[in-house]
Amino acid sequence: MELIRDCLDKQVDDQAKRRMGRVDGIILVLEPDQPPRVAYIELGVTTLMNRLSSRVGRTLARWMRNRNISPDPYRIPWGKLKIGLNQVIAEVEAEKTPALKWELWLRKKVIGRIPGA
Amino acid sequence: MKKLLEIALGIVTSVGGFLEIGSIATAAQAGAEFSLQLIWAIVLGGICIIFLVEQSGRFAAVSGRTLPDAIRERFGFNYFAFMYLILGLVSLMVLAAEIGGVCVALELATGVGFQWWALPVALVIWLVIWKGTFGVIEKGVSVLGLITLCFVVGAYIVHPPWNQVLHGAVPTLPQHNAARYWFIAVSILGASISPYLFFFYSAGAIEDEWKETHVGINRVIATGGMSFGSLISIAVLILAAMLLLPRGLKVQHYSELPMLLIPVFGTKGFWLLVASLGIACLGASMEITLQIAYLTAQGFGWNWSENQRPLAEARFSFVYTVTIILGMLPSLFGLDPLTMTVFSMAATAATLPVSIVPFLFLMNDYSYVRKYRNGWFSNAVVLSIISLAFVLAVVTIPLQIFGGG
Repeated sequence: MELIRDCLDKQVDDQAKRRMGRVDGIILVLEPDQPPRVAYIELGVTTLMNRLSSRVGRTLARWMRNRNISPDPYRIPWGKLKIGLNQVIAEVEAEKTPALKWELWLRKKVIGRIPGA
Repeated sequence: MKKLLEIALGIVTSVGGFLEIGSIATAAQAGAEFSLQLIWAIVLGGICIIFLVEQSGRFAAVSGRTLPDAIRERFGFNYFAFMYLILGLVSLMVLAAEIGGVCVALELATGVGFQWWALPVALVIWLVIWKGTFGVIEKGVSVLGLITLCFVVGAYIVHPPWNQVLHGAVPTLPQHNAARYWFIAVSILGASISPYLFFFYSAGAIEDEWKETHVGINRVIATGGMSFGSLISIAVLILAAMLLLPRGLKVQHYSELPMLLIPVFGTKGFWLLVASLGIACLGASMEITLQIAYLTAQGFGWNWSENQRPLAEARFSFVYTVTIILGMLPSLFGLDPLTMTVFSMAATAATLPVSIVPFLFLMNDYSYVRKYRNGWFSNAVVLSIISLAFVLAVVTIPLQIFGGG
């Protein structure tokens, strides 16, 4: 497998095929005398902004912290993933993960309050 | 029989949804200022959009993915972010122009200033998207849009010199005001090769659950729908050349548009124009709003579908709600809809390479389109369209300065 081609930026769905987001980042662990090991994938806006520019990423993280919003991306262990053709399936339940934090917040605080939603 | 019905409905939908404020305004200005000489620009734009729409439909049907999905996957986040910013901004400008178009239609019908209509129009657009399904928007509004065929009937009735119409389909150099001539040609191409058309079409193919078996149907719908759609734009140009040019009207204000149909149909012509303008722009407003929400949700991997309840996809619903509010603001503050239209069409033309270049790579990627990859002819056409897009990107701003007024 080629990590960048086959995993990065691919759609991540949970077991029930609910869309969770995309693979925004991949975390490799370096251990002495061992080849690099793929440990996690990351989903989160700060990871994305870091890819654009580390300065933008840092500024966004600071801005989020000042407003008591966690800037930490959501990490899924590599062992819980199935990598398919242009798709990644995570063995998790999407709604119970931070990946849908904003979706659930908007649902509860904004969209859910509009008649007919 | 079912396939024939599907093709007929698809073509009707494409034709009814083709005309919008950009194609009406640019075609009318072309006819009013340069008679039949600029028909070639509509023909060229029509050919380009046929190929792009066909390829985006084929891509979605075979891969089960939309264009933004694949652009993010194959080109990475940085390119997607760049395209998202540019396309989002240009689409917002086009949306503002379309909402302005609906407001102008209502001003013509009631005499109440267009800015007073901005809020009610935005509310109607939002309500239809909020409560309606994809089918309601795609088919319902587009079928109503068939009223724009009155331009074709009108163009036939005015008996244009058909040999000159055919002659206009061949590019010629301008006899006067070259900067203006080329600026209008560029604006026509910007209006014809609208990225929102093929992005919306690819999302629609997924919403309609197209599969590999739809490849043939897609080809017929894309070719038939976009050809007939271009024919309506040509009809607007013919009417402007036959009716506005002799009267010295240059479409510097929307109030001149009814003269496209009044001399042909009398008072009914006025109402046909108002209905055509209103419905065409309303349909386009909904499609562009959804396209921006689709682009956002698909690029970031969120849940999206116009067929689900808003609660099931809160971020998608939130994006289209905010989009409508932003798109309404220019009309609310009284910005001239014609200026917005001309400017947004030029901006579309100037930014075309960003959304067209990915076609060349995606349509040749075996992992997405397998045996339905582009052949040498389709690739040659895409390369030609990309070259044209780069030329437009370079010349648009100078032409806007020297020929936009």
